[in-house]
Amino acid sequence: MKPLSIRDMLYEEPGPKMRRQIGIYTILAFLLLAALIVAVIRQFVITGQFDSRYWYFFGRATTWRFLGQGLLTTITSALAGSVIAFILGFLLMRGKLRRNKLLRSISTMLIEFTRGVPTLLFIYFFFLVIPQTGIKMSAFWKITLPCAISACGVVAEALRSGVNAVPWGQTEAALSLGLTETRLFYKVVFPQAIRFVIPSLIAELVIVLKDTTFASIVTCADLMQNAKVLISNYDAMLSVYLVVAVIYILINYLLNKLSDRLAFRLRTGTAERNAA
Amino acid sequence: MIQKDTPIIELKNVNKFFGNLHVLKDISLQVHKGEVVVIIGPSGSGKSTLCRTINRLETINSGEILIEGVQIPEEGKELAALRSQIGMVFQSFNLFAHMSILDNMTLAPVDVLKMKRKDARAEAMRLLERVGVADQANKVPSQLSGGQQQRAAIARALAMHPKAMLFDEPTSALDPEMIGEVLNVMTELAAEGMTMLIVTHEMNFARRVANRVILMDGGCIVEESEPDTFFSDPQTDRAKLFLNSLNK
Ligand SMILES: Nc1ncnc2c1ncn2[C@@H]1O[C@H](COP(=O)(O)OP(=O)(O)O)[C@@H](O)[C@H]1O
Ligand SMILES: [Mg+2]
Repeated sequence: MKPLSIRDMLYEEPGPKMRRQIGIYTILAFLLLAALIVAVIRQFVITGQFDSRYWYFFGRATTWRFLGQGLLTTITSALAGSVIAFILGFLLMRGKLRRNKLLRSISTMLIEFTRGVPTLLFIYFFFLVIPQTGIKMSAFWKITLPCAISACGVVAEALRSGVNAVPWGQTEAALSLGLTETRLFYKVVFPQAIRFVIPSLIAELVIVLKDTTFASIVTCADLMQNAKVLISNYDAMLSVYLVVAVIYILINYLLNKLSDRLAFRLRTGTAERNAA
Repeated sequence: MIQKDTPIIELKNVNKFFGNLHVLKDISLQVHKGEVVVIIGPSGSGKSTLCRTINRLETINSGEILIEGVQIPEEGKELAALRSQIGMVFQSFNLFAHMSILDNMTLAPVDVLKMKRKDARAEAMRLLERVGVADQANKVPSQLSGGQQQRAAIARALAMHPKAMLFDEPTSALDPEMIGEVLNVMTELAAEGMTMLIVTHEMNFARRVANRVILMDGGCIVEESEPDTFFSDPQTDRAKLFLNSLNK
């Protein structure tokens, strides 16, 4: 079975005229992009950015080990942050879908609050305010926790939209079979909801990953912070930023691929399992 | 302790409002063991609502609903337990979309009745065999035709060994060529003595299978009689009008 992407659902198969048009625009876009790249490279050559003194240290293993350590911190921070964001987001979603009015309004408030406040403010809070309360926290958590908190409201809303997308009739069918609301939530509703929102959850993971680049503020040695150290050591800004950007792009690209795979696997999972 | 004449389902003076809309007006009704009662009536007359109040998918504003003489619990485990004894079949099938047909069948028996998975599977296969979709057991619902899905949904309800079955327009969402296969399954069930309350527009089926036909209109039961009487010698003007509108 071919996986249905969002695009397949939104647009019909293009006809011959449409295909020709798409072809023309694709070529135009390519030409424009190529021109832009050529212009940038030209500018780099003129300003001497390809000079070996900006690049030679990338030939050293220590440089890569240093960047690798930073990358590892970035990835663990993003993963830990995402797991925490997911747990908090799940709890908030459950709270918002409760009949209990108090629980519902508290959850709604927290969701709106965490979605509304910029990540940077949470980071400053953990960096400046938390230490004053006498709580000792490593730099790793000072960046991971605020990123998680900042993401949890979005995760909650994503999960809630997934839950609401599961046809109500299935809930009624489960009730009529004698399942309790809690059991049917975990057995019938949530497994389907999570399938619907995997892409937006992965997108949120990407945002958490990007947010962790603020880590240098709390002097946590992530990829970005280590890149900054390289920059000041070798007085080479552009080359380092370029390499680091490529690394971030690669990770996010891989995450998106993972998202597609996962969504596909989950959608066809039942059929495969039963065929096996 | 159940007396022979205690009805399986009994409604006493049930009233139901949606906001200001009086949807069920003082409905009283009994369905006895082994009886097949068919409810017909124009759209919006309250047939679905009546059906749904019986396992409390809709709450009522006044009156009583008794299952084997016992009032329906209002919430919690007791309500869930009662619902598990009343099978319900919906117009839109409502199979669990992420599970195979077999998993659809075994979920509640394992989860609610605490059956062993192996036993539940064996029984599920027997039931699927009975409704003629055993060869679809490992597919997900979207891979089945509407008729197959509805037959599987009936089997899923039967897996709970219900005391009675409620059907809310089980064939209304089906292509004409699939209606027959679902009605056949229901006819067999009736012949085996299942207690059934059926909302349907299939008049031939009603005439053939029902012990009693109830005509609803505007939230009231306007006529209640045996099918032969109902279809050939309706007592009320409203019933005559309704039957006439069908023949047009
Ligand atoms: N959840 C609801 N909220 C408000 N009004 C409803 C709801 N469900 C049904 N109704 C109204 O109640 C009346 C009876 O509906 P229903 O029982 O579905 O009729 P039927 O099944 O006979 O077509 C209709 O007027 C319908 O619009
Ligand atoms: Mg209806």
